[in-house]
Amino acid sequence: MMGATETKAIHLDPRTELLLLVIANIVAFTYSARWIEFAVIGVLALLLLCCGCGRTAIKWVIVFVGLVAIQYYVIPILPKILVIMFSILTVYVRKLFPCLMIGALILKTTPVRFLIIALRKWHVPQKLIIPLSITLRYFPAIKEENRHIRDAMKLRKIKGLERKLECMVVPLLMSAAGTADELSAAAITRGIENPVPKTCIVDLRFHIQDYVCLLVGCVFIVAANIAH
Amino acid sequence: MDRNLNKLQVKDLVTIGIFSAIYFVINLIVMVSGGITPLLWIFMPPILSVLCGVIYMLLVAKVQKTGAVLVMGLITGLIYVATGQFTLVLLVTFGLACIVAELIRKATGYNSFKGNLLGYAFFSLGMVGSPLPIWLFRDSFSEQMVSQGMPADYVATMNAVTPMWVLIVMVVATFLLAFVGGLIGKALLKKHFEKAGMV
Repeated sequence: MMGATETKAIHLDPRTELLLLVIANIVAFTYSARWIEFAVIGVLALLLLCCGCGRTAIKWVIVFVGLVAIQYYVIPILPKILVIMFSILTVYVRKLFPCLMIGALILKTTPVRFLIIALRKWHVPQKLIIPLSITLRYFPAIKEENRHIRDAMKLRKIKGLERKLECMVVPLLMSAAGTADELSAAAITRGIENPVPKTCIVDLRFHIQDYVCLLVGCVFIVAANIAH
Repeated sequence: MDRNLNKLQVKDLVTIGIFSAIYFVINLIVMVSGGITPLLWIFMPPILSVLCGVIYMLLVAKVQKTGAVLVMGLITGLIYVATGQFTLVLLVTFGLACIVAELIRKATGYNSFKGNLLGYAFFSLGMVGSPLPIWLFRDSFSEQMVSQGMPADYVATMNAVTPMWVLIVMVVATFLLAFVGGLIGKALLKKHFEKAGMV
């Protein structure tokens, strides 16, 4: 985890990142001023940069600028029916941007086990933590599974939407059921059912950067409400 | 061990987690295509209620215990909120829909096909929360679009394609198509999973 390449980057507490996600949600749905939106994106890009995800930050900023450009330069010259289509797309996707950026930050910098520890510190019930972490962990597996199924379908020359859907979903669910058995066996072997409080080797606590991030987030909430 | 039989074990929790992931991915695929045309987005709940019947049916067949549907709904709702989709409305509708579905499952004893079908119909209604803000916050939504540089008549056109009756049609369609989805799910279960001895 603490590899040599990561020594320069700032590490945030997972709890800070989750709180930032909530803050971003609040800000995204209260702001009315355009400059706040741009400021949020700018600050988040900076945060990504500081956390060692410079390339991701640049990618998001470019897509965002592209969307804004489409909205102000392309949409006015489009026919009306296309305008309705694209305006929902641009307005909504732009609203999602802050949350998506923080989501990318969490995925890039925080392993699932850190997230679990953070949630445990918030006393989220174990019954929710286990399936939630499994869900997050299983997304990449679905992608891989999907590739195998596609290959198999090509080999058998399966045609037709209905048949294709069936041939897609059934093996996916089959393997999911199998994986569920294996994963739970593995987890039980490692003592997940042990009722005593879990200990952990990672020491999670808030540092100065966490407080700074949360402070900036609060400033944005206040600013968004004033501008509103 | 016996008194814990109706409580969710680790194996059940893992199963729920994995099925939630699949459910969410199918949601996401439909939603991304919904970005292309808003009409598809508005009618996302009915489309999903047809597609996801098999997932729900397999889940309730595998985990015949209290809470399976509720946990799946909560996780899906939480991930939606975390990715910034459409405020907390979705989490609330999902929560309510799942509680109703749980009550129906409890009343019908977890094992009855009719009960599960009805439960699924209510569970599907949870997705209505996704396009609901269009109607719920219509004024502020329109205002915002105008302030973000949309000419007012465009916003008026957008409001014109989403009158109140579209919402009602959407809700009713979701509910009815859930039965179709549930039946498809049951048929697939019979065709593939029961034969393989998995249910």
